[in-house]
Amino acid sequence: MDATITYETQQIWTSWFAVYLYLGGLGAATLTVTFLTDMYLRPYKELVLWGAFSGIVMLGAGSGLLFLHLLDHMAAIHVMNPLVLFEKPDAWIAWGTQFISWMMIWGFIYAFPYMVESDFLRGLPILGWVLGRPWVMFLAAHAGNHFRRTIGWLATINGIGVAVYTGLVLQSFPAVTLWHNPGVPLLFTASAFSTALAYLLLVLHLVMNREEDHPIRVIYERIDLILISTELVILFSFFTYLQSGSESGYRSAELLWGDLGWLIGFIGFGLLVPFFLQLKGVIWRWPSRYPIVASAVLVLCGGYLLRHYFMGAAVFAYPG
Amino acid sequence: MTWKFPGLSRRSFLAASAGGAAAAATGATVPLALGTGRASDDTDDEARISYTICNFCSSLCNVRVTTRVRNGAAWIVKLDGNPHSTLNRGKICARGQAGLRQTYDSDRIKTPLIRVEGSKRGEYAFRSATWEEAWTYIGERLKQEKIQPWEWTMVGGWTSCVFYMNWAVPFALANQIPNIIASPMQHCVTTGHLGTDAVTGNFNVHDEILPDYDHARYILLIGNNASIGAVSTSRMVRMAAARKQGARLVVLDPRRSETAAKADEWIAIRPGTDLDFCLAMLHVMLEDGLYDEQFLQRHSNMPFLLHRDDAGEWALALDPEGRPQVIAEGDSEPRALPAFGNDNRVDVNGNHAYPRLAVPENSTAQGRPVVTVFQAQRRELDGYSVYWAERSTGVPAETIRRIAHEFGRNRPAIIDPGWHGARYGNVMMLRRVQAMIQGLIGGIDQRGGWVMSGEYHHKAHAMLEAMQHGDPGGPPLATLAGLPFAKMVIDAVSNPEHFEHGKPGFAWAFSQQERAAGRDWVMLPAMADCGLKESVTGRLTYEGEPYRTRALLINAANPVRHYYPDTYWKDILTHDDMALVVVVDVLPSDTTPYADVILPNSTYLERDEPTVYGNGVNQDLALTTRYAAIEPLYDTEESPDILYHLTEIISGNTKGFVDAVEQLTGLPARPVREAFARTRAERARGAFSAACREVAFVEAAKRVRVTPEELDHALRSRGVYHEEDWETLLETTAMPRVMPMPTGSGRLEFFSTLFADLREKGGEGPHFSPLATHIPAACRDGTRPEAPLDDDEFFFTYGKTPTVSYGSTNSNNPVLAAINRFKRDIYAGVWMHPDRAARLGIATGDPILLTNVRSGQRADGVAYVTRLVHRDTLFLHSSFGVENPALTRSAGIGTATNKLIPYEVEPVVAGFRSQEFTIRVARVGKGAVT
Amino acid sequence: MTRYVMVIDLNTCVGCNACMAACAIENQTPVWKSVWRTYVHDTEIGTGEDVHRRFFPSLCNHCANPPCMTVCPTGATYQREDGIVMVDDALCMGCQACALACPYRARYSATYEDIEIGRRFYGALMRDRPSVDKCNFCAHRVDAGQEPACVETCVGSARMFGDLDDPNDRISQLVKSGIARPLLPHLGTRPHVYYIDDLKRS
Repeated sequence: MDATITYETQQIWTSWFAVYLYLGGLGAATLTVTFLTDMYLRPYKELVLWGAFSGIVMLGAGSGLLFLHLLDHMAAIHVMNPLVLFEKPDAWIAWGTQFISWMMIWGFIYAFPYMVESDFLRGLPILGWVLGRPWVMFLAAHAGNHFRRTIGWLATINGIGVAVYTGLVLQSFPAVTLWHNPGVPLLFTASAFSTALAYLLLVLHLVMNREEDHPIRVIYERIDLILISTELVILFSFFTYLQSGSESGYRSAELLWGDLGWLIGFIGFGLLVPFFLQLKGVIWRWPSRYPIVASAVLVLCGGYLLRHYFMGAAVFAYPG
Repeated sequence: MTWKFPGLSRRSFLAASAGGAAAAATGATVPLALGTGRASDDTDDEARISYTICNFCSSLCNVRVTTRVRNGAAWIVKLDGNPHSTLNRGKICARGQAGLRQTYDSDRIKTPLIRVEGSKRGEYAFRSATWEEAWTYIGERLKQEKIQPWEWTMVGGWTSCVFYMNWAVPFALANQIPNIIASPMQHCVTTGHLGTDAVTGNFNVHDEILPDYDHARYILLIGNNASIGAVSTSRMVRMAAARKQGARLVVLDPRRSETAAKADEWIAIRPGTDLDFCLAMLHVMLEDGLYDEQFLQRHSNMPFLLHRDDAGEWALALDPEGRPQVIAEGDSEPRALPAFGNDNRVDVNGNHAYPRLAVPENSTAQGRPVVTVFQAQRRELDGYSVYWAERSTGVPAETIRRIAHEFGRNRPAIIDPGWHGARYGNVMMLRRVQAMIQGLIGGIDQRGGWVMSGEYHHKAHAMLEAMQHGDPGGPPLATLAGLPFAKMVIDAVSNPEHFEHGKPGFAWAFSQQERAAGRDWVMLPAMADCGLKESVTGRLTYEGEPYRTRALLINAANPVRHYYPDTYWKDILTHDDMALVVVVDVLPSDTTPYADVILPNSTYLERDEPTVYGNGVNQDLALTTRYAAIEPLYDTEESPDILYHLTEIISGNTKGFVDAVEQLTGLPARPVREAFARTRAERARGAFSAACREVAFVEAAKRVRVTPEELDHALRSRGVYHEEDWETLLETTAMPRVMPMPTGSGRLEFFSTLFADLREKGGEGPHFSPLATHIPAACRDGTRPEAPLDDDEFFFTYGKTPTVSYGSTNSNNPVLAAINRFKRDIYAGVWMHPDRAARLGIATGDPILLTNVRSGQRADGVAYVTRLVHRDTLFLHSSFGVENPALTRSAGIGTATNKLIPYEVEPVVAGFRSQEFTIRVARVGKGAVT
Repeated sequence: MTRYVMVIDLNTCVGCNACMAACAIENQTPVWKSVWRTYVHDTEIGTGEDVHRRFFPSLCNHCANPPCMTVCPTGATYQREDGIVMVDDALCMGCQACALACPYRARYSATYEDIEIGRRFYGALMRDRPSVDKCNFCAHRVDAGQEPACVETCVGSARMFGDLDDPNDRISQLVKSGIARPLLPHLGTRPHVYYIDDLKRS
């Protein structure tokens, strides 16, 4: 039926959801990267605590945001029951909820022994007292010794799941060409890990500025460089993909590539500038850490802009 | 022929009441165990079904009401079309569906309201009062001001006319009030409709003719949207059937209205030129033989002989006994036909012959040269060719010719008259020509053509039979149909002999005054407002005495919003000498702020109607009524009771009131009084209505030969009591094939005896022409319609939204208001073509100022730029422009049409010339002319 | 088996909005905000002189492959055997993914506030939890042997309701003849609301 079509952007999931998707990807990937670092590069208590703490707080904040936007908060209980995955294995938000929950739980358990060992945390008022309890220390020792790698992997897999899910959830909406394609999960996953690495680079450069972390920082920079390149390739693919095939996509392209915030803010400062800064850093080394710090800040801002524009440039083609 | 309408003097009331009482004595005076039918009788949670009649347009659809008990109270939860109704076939429109939200509208008037001391009319400042206080207030004011009966004017809205005429007219007569202004008259019933009536003898076309779209193959609609697409359910269900069966629909409209949107061919005709198109079409049909010759010969007055009278005007060539004449085929001498009848094949001597449509050139009768009506009409149309019409209408000549041929050749075909009249002085002639066109193809009262309503057939048949047997005729309001009904009503209020004080209605006194003074005057100001302002302001005299209007009873009418201009009524209502304004309504319309006392009516869903009605315009013959779905929510009263109480106060003549109801409607007075004595002890409100209802059930049951209980049971369970199918009815009552029409001659009249009469009474000019002739729409002085307009000048057209009828407080209904919000741009905007808008720098959503070029009146609007409207014209919907903030959901939305329309009327019935001017448009804030 | 389908004949929809009113009242939708279970769009088609005006009723299409059901994380959106896609407002938490997934703009949200207002406006409300809402083909009426409220009141008989699994059903035959066609078929939603075109050569 050849109906007249009304083209509209949407007002259902707006900037708050962009924040949520951003925090989700960033937090989960941060936790994941720190755990993998701890498991395979070298044990690194502070980094894990940073990663777990950041991940849990960011996911908590993002999920809290999402929770507040629900229509019926009480009914959220229905998605928190893990058995929902057998009922609705096709629903990405169900998976996402489970990934988030289990990432936070396993992440906490993985970080727990390090919490007990942390002088800083032991020095805090209430938390310090709790961490000093004998039964707490007993539990920590258990968690710390048995199944440590398993727990780490459980947290990691769920963390990767969260990062990928943020893209899969948008892909599942068929009415928007910008969203309904396999490029979105790839892009969002790459972006999640890229922002996570940028965040950790900031932590490693500014908060825990330690000489012995140099190898870790180098690896992070290199991986980040690869991820940024990957994003650029995927975005180029998007650019050509949206040019024809669907009016919804064409209009999204017009909205995106006609907007200086996207072009200069995201592509320019969020990707290209960090790419070159990090390229120089990887090949020729920077004399100081500040170019990398700057690059990391830009990547972090860019990561939000990506999701902001993806929510805002979505074009629905409604009949009627 | 002269039809004698029963005299309506008080003497004749008293005389006839003896007979009426005798009739009543044989009737039942047994109180009817009808039950209250109220939801409050329910104690369980099940849905209760009851039936009623919708209240929001003249389709009068039958409605099924679902009521449930919620939180211990009965709630009306849903309205639907009554599936047992052959009128609307189980369907109702958005207004019908949303009707229950009028009952539950938080803005409703819940108690009688009396103006706060110190406030002025125009301010909505009232205090709650009891009914006793309200009656006392009215009584005291009347006494204080010494209001005389003729100083009262009743203003009735459409609802009160359709449902309560049976009490309003007796009320007027019993209280010696000769003044009724009925709001549909100058807008539709006496303007457009009278044009149709002149041909077919109808009175109220949209309640009497329901075209049989179901079986039509070609449908031509001109100036017609409200009656089909915007929306009249009873017509639209039939039109939908026609569309689905492949009928071709052609619509002429300056904009692509809802109806035009469904057309196979939409012709954007220039506004005001519909008559030009139709004259050219009539011309083609007559010239090219596109007519049913036999039908015209037999059943119309086309073959009647005409001569030029002493004044050079066409007149019927009557024989010495005043009978019409024809020349038969094979003859050269004229022969006389019965003055009143429906078949021209039998002359006064009983001889059979076919009358010719055209007679030879040198034919004479009584020594004068004669031609037939057919020939005379052709001559009149001589200059009105398709080429002539092309100039003004903008429609190519060949298109006009083609449509005339398509219409004439694709039978059955329908050209439908439409509802709203007014607009131009020539609309009456337009509707007349449309009726002629329909008559030419014989499409009157037959399958696939115009079909009269069951009720109309029934009444006309009884009326004509009584006439033929020389019976005096029954109660006029109940038994007269068509033009005789109109004439009776006109005579009732225009003949000073009907009133002891010897004054006719002010409008008639005004016509007389103006005519004597050599100024423009209106021939038949039937229930019209002409002269009201003069009467209020002291510029009207009758027989040397001042004729003042100092008290108004406004019932279910909103003249401040839908009469012209708005200042006319605001000035009248706030005039120093206006002593008392009583308004009866359910919601705070724009007229209520001008009241002294507001009396709250119950809504239709809360009411058992005071009588049993026919089924509106349904072609089938059936009975129906309303059953209240719930008890009235507030302290409201019924119209007949209000009129009864007012009679107590005004004249004390309640006996005369009840007697007059019997005289005029046949409702027997004695049983009504007996029932009333009982009901007024049982209930505080609606007692008189309840008494009338009981007796009406007895009478109706008698007529259809069942018991009142059986009738009640049938109506409760199905909502309609089906009497007869229309196909069967047509076999015995089709007009004019089987039965005469209520025209002057009984035939379909191409030469209008009605207008010939009016011309003899002094009507001058083309508006009174007995034949079809041209009357140009004069939107600009001395300028032809097709002459170019200034860049910022437009014609003006208005029409109806499907959600809210003209000036109706339905705009406040929350569901309808929500739909209007969804369509806000389209419904509340002023339509303008993009080519014109571009030259003025106007885009959709821009605020604009509209100025009437002739009168200087101004109004604000918001532009809606669309291709769906003719370049030369603006269009706006008449539903909006509410000013009273007490209507919380619609105040301030849209543009009020009556802020732009001046007081200009045509000379026959004071029909409003509500589009006959041009408008200048300017964008506000950018080069606006201040 | 039964598989419900609606066919809308654009040739006789006259834009009267009766269906919008009937649906709102029957299903107690929040008329105080501008959302509906069904809309009658008033569209202008064409750029020439003979510009066309089309009234276009839209509603939930009760797809056979409903993307709204896929994305629903709690299972609140489910499909009956007769094809009607339902929302269980007790299970729905209101994440609104379904509203984003729907290509037909069929869904809107009903909030706590709407429940409060609705109780006062309608006297008693069938809903007691907030959720996303949409047309459900008046399942409560259909189960009682009636037609959806919009179909029953449609003045032009433009809306028609039938059973695709019944070969004798006239509506089913209209669909099978191909004269009635669905919206956005290329999206793979397999909708069950079909339209008969009004823009033919005449």
